[in-house]
Amino acid sequence: MTSKDLVLESASDRTIRFERDALVFMDQLYAAALRYTRNPEDARDLVQDTYMKAFTSFHQFEEGTNLRAWLYRVLTTTFINSYRKKQRQPLIANNELEDWQISQAQSHTSDLGKSAEVEALENLPDSDIKNALQELPEEFCMAVYLADVEGFSYKEIAEIVGIPAGTVMSRLHRGRKLLREKLADYARELGYTTDAKGENS
Amino acid sequence: MSLFGAERIGCPEVLASIVFIIEDAIEQVEHPHEVRDHIDLCPNCSRQLDHERLTHTFLVDALRRACVEKAPESLYESIHNQLVGAGSATEVVTTFSMTEISIEIDEFGNVEHREVQIEETHVQHINFDDGLPGGKI
Repeated sequence: MTSKDLVLESASDRTIRFERDALVFMDQLYAAALRYTRNPEDARDLVQDTYMKAFTSFHQFEEGTNLRAWLYRVLTTTFINSYRKKQRQPLIANNELEDWQISQAQSHTSDLGKSAEVEALENLPDSDIKNALQELPEEFCMAVYLADVEGFSYKEIAEIVGIPAGTVMSRLHRGRKLLREKLADYARELGYTTDAKGENS
Repeated sequence: MSLFGAERIGCPEVLASIVFIIEDAIEQVEHPHEVRDHIDLCPNCSRQLDHERLTHTFLVDALRRACVEKAPESLYESIHNQLVGAGSATEVVTTFSMTEISIEIDEFGNVEHREVQIEETHVQHINFDDGLPGGKI
């Protein structure tokens, strides 16, 4: 569709096109909004605000490009710009961009810890998994959720969140590590013996 | 002593690169070739990569299994209603049109005539519910 066609598109045609193309993502956006806002009331409002903002800017959206990623960008931007300010979530430390590749103590995991960790992941109840994800600092939770639940690439996440690709990698690395540690804690409470924190082999 | 790329970097650097390998972005690390060579030759790192891949698969499965909330039916309704309201907002189309004509006569009496037509169309949606015209995000 050329830009000229868009100008000629009637307002009601645009509404129909928007509903047809964009509303199919509502459940996904709602689940993401729940992770972002951490409560159903705010998640509901955030999704509604997102759709209204997206609709108002829909004429700027280029058909054929990734509508789903664009909607996530609107969702994330709306959350960062308005909801987060209200919620006063703890932010991660300012030294996020320090040389994490070098500063991280990296070691091999013991063989014993491996199968136990995988077994725990298979058997943990959904509520524990959601709680562990929720306990991550917001930025980590967002990156891990967008990559591992929604399947966005690190480049897409960089666009959606508005951060450099290197920062996405750092957040994925640290977020997943922290998440696994938290899941290991939950697993231990359930009686699994795991060693997600690593042990020198 | 051989000088394989594998020996130029240590296990910690390789282990820190695993997130890039999982994201299929190995080319983003500083020494991609050395990392590959190291993994081929170092059984510990190779096993660790297999473990990280496997654990990541299970982590993804666990997360996808847990995060499947459906939006409430009423949310669909209220978004639909608000969209229909916004869609029927008044559309104001403003068209500016201007014709610039210039005529030049030089010292030999030659006449040069130019006409430039400038047109601009501006579409604005006004929703009287909130009184705000649509804009960028």
